[in-house]
Amino acid sequence: MDNRSLIGLALALTLVLLAACGGGTASPGNEYGGGGAPQTTDMPAGGVDRNRLSRELYFYNWSDYINPELLAQFEAEYGVRVIVDTYDSNEDMIAKLRAGNSGYDLVVPSDYAVTIMAAEKLAASLDKNLLPNLVHLDPDLLNQPFDPDNAISAPYFYGITGIAYNVKSFPEGIDTWSAVFDTSAIAAYRGKLSMLDDERETPGAALRYLGHSLNETDPAILRQVEELLIAQKPYLAAYNSADVNRKLASEEYVIAHAWSGSALQARNGLEGEFAGNPDIRFVIPEEGGMIWMDNLVVVANSPGSYTAHVFINFLLDPEVAARNAEWTGYLTPNQDALPLLSEDLQALYAEGFAPDDEVRQRLEWAVRNEQTAVFTDLWTVVKGR
Amino acid sequence: MTLNALERERQRRERRTLAALLTPGLLWLILFFALPLVIILVYSFMTNGPRGNIVWQFTLGNYVDLFTRSIYFNAYLRSIWISVLTTVICLVLGYPLALFIVRQPPRWRTVLLFLVLIPFWTNFLVRIYAWQIILANNGLINSALRSLGLPPLTLLNTEGATLLGLVYGELPFMVLPIYAALDRFDFTLMEAAADLGASKRRAFWRVMLPMTMPGVAAGSVLVFIPTIGQFVVSELLGGAKVDYLGNLIQRLFLRSNPPNWPLGSAMAMAMMLVLLALILIYFRTTTEEDR
Amino acid sequence: MIEATSTATQPRRAARPALEQGRLTWGGLVLMACAVLIYLFLYLPIAILVLFSFTRDQFGVRWTGFTLDWYTRLFANERLMGATVNTLYVALVSTIVATVLGTLLAMALERYRFRGRNSVDTLIYLPIVIPEIVMAVALLAFSALAFDLIRLLTGETLRRSLTTVIIGHIAFSVSFVVVVVRTSLKNFDRRLEEAAADLGANSWNIFWRVTFPLILPGIIGGALLAFTLSLDDFIISLFLSGPGTSLLPVEVYNKVRRAVTPEINAISTLMLALSITLVVLSQSVQRRQ
Repeated sequence: MDNRSLIGLALALTLVLLAACGGGTASPGNEYGGGGAPQTTDMPAGGVDRNRLSRELYFYNWSDYINPELLAQFEAEYGVRVIVDTYDSNEDMIAKLRAGNSGYDLVVPSDYAVTIMAAEKLAASLDKNLLPNLVHLDPDLLNQPFDPDNAISAPYFYGITGIAYNVKSFPEGIDTWSAVFDTSAIAAYRGKLSMLDDERETPGAALRYLGHSLNETDPAILRQVEELLIAQKPYLAAYNSADVNRKLASEEYVIAHAWSGSALQARNGLEGEFAGNPDIRFVIPEEGGMIWMDNLVVVANSPGSYTAHVFINFLLDPEVAARNAEWTGYLTPNQDALPLLSEDLQALYAEGFAPDDEVRQRLEWAVRNEQTAVFTDLWTVVKGR
Repeated sequence: MTLNALERERQRRERRTLAALLTPGLLWLILFFALPLVIILVYSFMTNGPRGNIVWQFTLGNYVDLFTRSIYFNAYLRSIWISVLTTVICLVLGYPLALFIVRQPPRWRTVLLFLVLIPFWTNFLVRIYAWQIILANNGLINSALRSLGLPPLTLLNTEGATLLGLVYGELPFMVLPIYAALDRFDFTLMEAAADLGASKRRAFWRVMLPMTMPGVAAGSVLVFIPTIGQFVVSELLGGAKVDYLGNLIQRLFLRSNPPNWPLGSAMAMAMMLVLLALILIYFRTTTEEDR
Repeated sequence: MIEATSTATQPRRAARPALEQGRLTWGGLVLMACAVLIYLFLYLPIAILVLFSFTRDQFGVRWTGFTLDWYTRLFANERLMGATVNTLYVALVSTIVATVLGTLLAMALERYRFRGRNSVDTLIYLPIVIPEIVMAVALLAFSALAFDLIRLLTGETLRRSLTTVIIGHIAFSVSFVVVVVRTSLKNFDRRLEEAAADLGANSWNIFWRVTFPLILPGIIGGALLAFTLSLDDFIISLFLSGPGTSLLPVEVYNKVRRAVTPEINAISTLMLALSITLVVLSQSVQRRQ
């Protein structure tokens, strides 16, 4: 009996496996630098110290959320290759950062997620001396409650949530949330209507329809919201916050609860991905809608902190911001970029894809705190029927 | 050497072989599976923080919630029901297919087996997406109906579509183990049964099916379990309108504000324990019959 | 490879052709009809996928004329190509390791009675039972702890990478291999091994000459499952991959949820063509032997 060879084989295998676990060492260039303290640098505005640039910048971003040409341009100008990985929810991203050693330099959390990143010390302070282009931003969108002094975040894009619809099906236009909640009306387009698959957006819309703040947590009112959503459900094609843009454009849906950006993509198409549909309109109903903002945040202890600042400043350049907004369809908080937008896009903004002063009065930020955790339960109840 | 010493020597050798067989795999599973799982077990007894962070404070609340609130309990029942349906349909489709393959000449058998698997080497999500193209309001089936002057059907975003996607996604996991069992099945036994006057149907139920039961059991487990935890199919084909357990767990971990990892962990733990008990009982019983 | 087994078991089946001929009349025909329908069901979406990789339609949902544009674009898309290579690498390595580990475990569990066998059994079924997301989170948390520990002990800073993804994939696919290989071992006629031992073969030879060929279909089945699982997994891949090491399922998940381009159809078609080529090649090589 020759058991020894079998044992030998098993042992060798075990060793190989253990050796394999030892792999994956970080490259020496990526060792951690200093702590998360703000680095103050006396740098002439616009001047970039090329010696401090890292060769690569790891950018963790939402998908389809940056014009790829800009990455090429940044590499050409500064010699830094920007490596973009994408995520699908703030929670995906935060989970990875929380686990530590994520390797990312720059991320794009939404408003409430900025608060979480600050509280969990996942973000580095911004060195505003390195960000002279901050002056171009709309002051109305700076200093928001989630980051009062913009100590850690710089606005990247913002968006509003309302109703996108196909004008062929609604020649009269739409101006109220009853177009998606009134069951006598929506029976006509049963199966061609979608709501966002989001525990704050969809109950939020129902709350506004019922005349309340979208942050209302009174149990009696939430009971009404629950009933409304359950009554609406049989008429829905889907809860969808993923490819509403494409399904509107291909007329799979004729009306949808949607973000302004995806409505705009449905109208204009997404370059290289699908063609637009000229019949798509977007409106913030008279009862009001939600406003939200995604922000550039440097990851705490990022080895490429300086490079990340240079890249943020680059993205805040009006000309760059305009090209980015053209490509993504989301709204740029960069007020000096607005005049640089194409006439087509400016016309769309005027048509309702961006809020004017009157519409802004009807927009509300979603607050997320211990009370609003009840929306998770509400959503579970709705999805449970 | 006495006979006794020889026997002891043989036993020692056997123990060493056993250790050699067990060590690498076990080590791997303990290190990269059991240990991480302990973390989840610990989470399930912790308190959820206001930002979805884990607060290191012991509680049984997550488990209490789980068993006392109908919204969670219903998700369990719904998931079990659709998993049973999926498993049964996969079995009804998979057994004849495996039987057909096994009865072909050896050369063809390999080809046919690979034909079952090849679709599964394209990405799962892409395949599910292809079903969207087929079933959508403006999809292929409805376009065909319309060109024939027939009224369109609502196919996508229904529970039927979810079921279809699940069966489609899990079928090979049923076919492979059944094929492996049938491959070892001695078909002359069927002839013997026929010689003894048994009808083909009777021979199938009395001889073939019982003897290939390990394959059926393994296939059923491989289909049933992933179906319980799935969330993508019900999202892409079911329109995300109904929560299954997988959707709920996924949401608690990654979508809700704040996320609730402790509750999600408790939910996963409870589900795993129940399933595990079922599987072990099932395998024990089939093994007994087998021997 | 499967053929080797079949010849090994051929004597037992000598009587089969006659049996089959008898059946071809009715039962056989029904069975064949069933099989044809099931294959159609399996290949319908695949056919559509392949067809629409050549369509001019931007949505990739209808046929508006032939083009190879999507393939040109795909080859220019470094990101997608890199992700494909990464995915194949991960699938290959994790399949090999998982198959070896799983086969050894299956032999131990099926052949030996030992204390703690039930616990091992339980441990093996756990990865099948666990929802993917939970395993992903567990592994993510674990990697963080392990990296901290390693840094404390050796001063080396580790980071998630393809290696962590491979480790995770092996951890769940081992169990699937065990389940499938065990079905092969269960119906195994141990007298064959005893006969070989009586003829003076040592255990090494018995394993390679007798046991291995007979359980090979099970092993191959297990390996194919492991490979398929690895190719499709995206949650564990998403959580365990490091910066800049994207994997195809993660890319596709992001795309499918937003907008699938026919580029994705194109890469799927190429992967399909590659796997079919490999199967055909291995078949023809075997036939020659």
